[in-house]
Amino acid sequence: MKWTPRATLIAGLALMALTNAVALGGAAYNRSGQPDSQLALTQREVQAPSPYSSRRHRDENSGLALTLQWRCLNDGETAYLGNRYCLSPPWLDAAKMAALGFDGRKLAPADGSEASLWRSVNQLPREVLVVLELNGPAYKEALRRSEKAYADAVGSNKDESDQRSAKGELEYERDHSSRLFAVDAGLDLHALRTQYPDRSAYAIVHARVQPIWSERKAKARGRIDDVHAEHINVPIEWRRALDGAKNRPANDDDKTPPFDALVAFGQRLEPWLVSAARR
Amino acid sequence: MNPPNPPTRQAAQQRVDDIHTFRLELMRLEDEGVIALPEPQRQAVNTHHDALLARLAQGFDLDHDHRAKQLSLGMRIVSLLGALALGASVFFLFYRFWGYLTTTVQVATLVSAALGSFLLTTWINRRDPTGYFTRLSAMVAFTCFVLNIVMLGQIFNINPSDKALLPWAAFAFVLAYGFEARLLQAAGILCIAAYIAARCGAWGGLYWLDFGRRPENFFAAAVAIFMLPQVVDQSRFSGFAATYRVFGALLLFLPVLVLAHWGESSYWAANLGANSDLVEGVYQVVGFVGTAALAWWAVKRQWPEVMNTGVTLFIIFFYSKLFDWWWETMPKYLFFLVLGLTAILLLMVFKRLRQVQA
Repeated sequence: MKWTPRATLIAGLALMALTNAVALGGAAYNRSGQPDSQLALTQREVQAPSPYSSRRHRDENSGLALTLQWRCLNDGETAYLGNRYCLSPPWLDAAKMAALGFDGRKLAPADGSEASLWRSVNQLPREVLVVLELNGPAYKEALRRSEKAYADAVGSNKDESDQRSAKGELEYERDHSSRLFAVDAGLDLHALRTQYPDRSAYAIVHARVQPIWSERKAKARGRIDDVHAEHINVPIEWRRALDGAKNRPANDDDKTPPFDALVAFGQRLEPWLVSAARR
Repeated sequence: MNPPNPPTRQAAQQRVDDIHTFRLELMRLEDEGVIALPEPQRQAVNTHHDALLARLAQGFDLDHDHRAKQLSLGMRIVSLLGALALGASVFFLFYRFWGYLTTTVQVATLVSAALGSFLLTTWINRRDPTGYFTRLSAMVAFTCFVLNIVMLGQIFNINPSDKALLPWAAFAFVLAYGFEARLLQAAGILCIAAYIAARCGAWGGLYWLDFGRRPENFFAAAVAIFMLPQVVDQSRFSGFAATYRVFGALLLFLPVLVLAHWGESSYWAANLGANSDLVEGVYQVVGFVGTAALAWWAVKRQWPEVMNTGVTLFIIFFYSKLFDWWWETMPKYLFFLVLGLTAILLLMVFKRLRQVQA
């Protein structure tokens, strides 16, 4: 076949048309019909860019994206700070990892040698489905632990600074921490949705999970490396509600979240911002 | 009778260089009294060469002397830098203002930029005999197309997918073959290699973005790219065959180099439980033998770029092995002395090979 300028023009135009049609068609399909889930989030669960981030960076990129703030409960034995940043929940144990497609034999090394330990966690991440729960039993448990920690600090007559610190943690947990928790994972969307049918409280998203080695417990478990739906573009019609929104409170007296954000997850589990309103 | 025009610019340039060399050598032979060409024959040869040079200059943008060649090289470098700078400018321009546009306008802007830059490139191509401006514009068109897809992904929060690499590769090849842009051919090769490697990883259960953590994922792509010129004739496109072979060799042996020093990243170690030291040893042997064999084969097939690639890779394998063995244990002056002496040894080996070939 002779490659002529006309062939170049036709091939290039056809390719661009087809690619854009596929991309836009996929986005339209994702937003078609009933969303898979729709969560009423607040600034606690979706974070606007920090006002303290580089001004130059904000000037160079005029786009605005919210970042999903999710966490998971730890096993309750460590300090409550662990609840805020835990990415390796107890339910993501070796059995669950095997169910997610990881090699179960390597997650339970027989001889405990360094080589077999390394092989147990040298499996690369896999893409799975993760269930995010909003303001459900996981959050209530996190709140209960903070309340207990404060009660223990007061009841055991710890010094004033410890009590103040525990009180601050309780207030933060109650008023500012994200209420969105990762509570389960699986490979079958239909099975997970059957198990978590409330679409206003449970969102199912694509995520990447990686096996890790827990030194303290001497066993392998899983870590949720990232959630694909973490960044949600803000269309211009909702920017006014979010421009200038504070990221985190500047002081302990400011307890009111500045905005509400309704986020939907579509047929391909890709999110979009349905509405946003300043409170 | 006029001889047929050479098929590519490279062949035409070679013919021009041969004519100039012939004229110089003929002048020297006449000065040294070795030959005295009869005037009618001299006239006939000069007339023929002048007509041929004029015809070649009409069909191709050629360098007629050494100074012109140097300028051409400078123009190629400037064209590349200009293309990269313009591409970055387009990218940052959109980033600066896209947040103030509605979704519809954002999408329209992205599609228009890609389409407009592509149409501009075809228009410039009809008016640019040198090809430098065309290739610069083609790079910008490619950047706009990549930006088109990436930003659609950001606007609609589309899950990242390796499938985006396919249209990027296809568009890069359309531009490369349409406007003889080897840089875009390289971009297309890298995109398609990444896609094949990501698919190989995904079939093994990996998340596609982690394909680089198992270097063996690149082997299938490397072989396919290296062998492509054997299957699809590239003679009409100057330098394209060499580009495929060089990138094929790099995509094969750079992962082998990684595996030769990091056996744990191999499928053999991670999935089958092979000893990582053994895996490293095997890949070191593969690296040494493979690169030497590549250089030898390239000499036989008269592929100078591939031969240079093979030799360079062999030296990298060799020096990295010396580093492994002796960097920690030897005094630094002695280590670098050994490197220098091995370079001298390799020079003697190549000199001997050249004598044997001659």
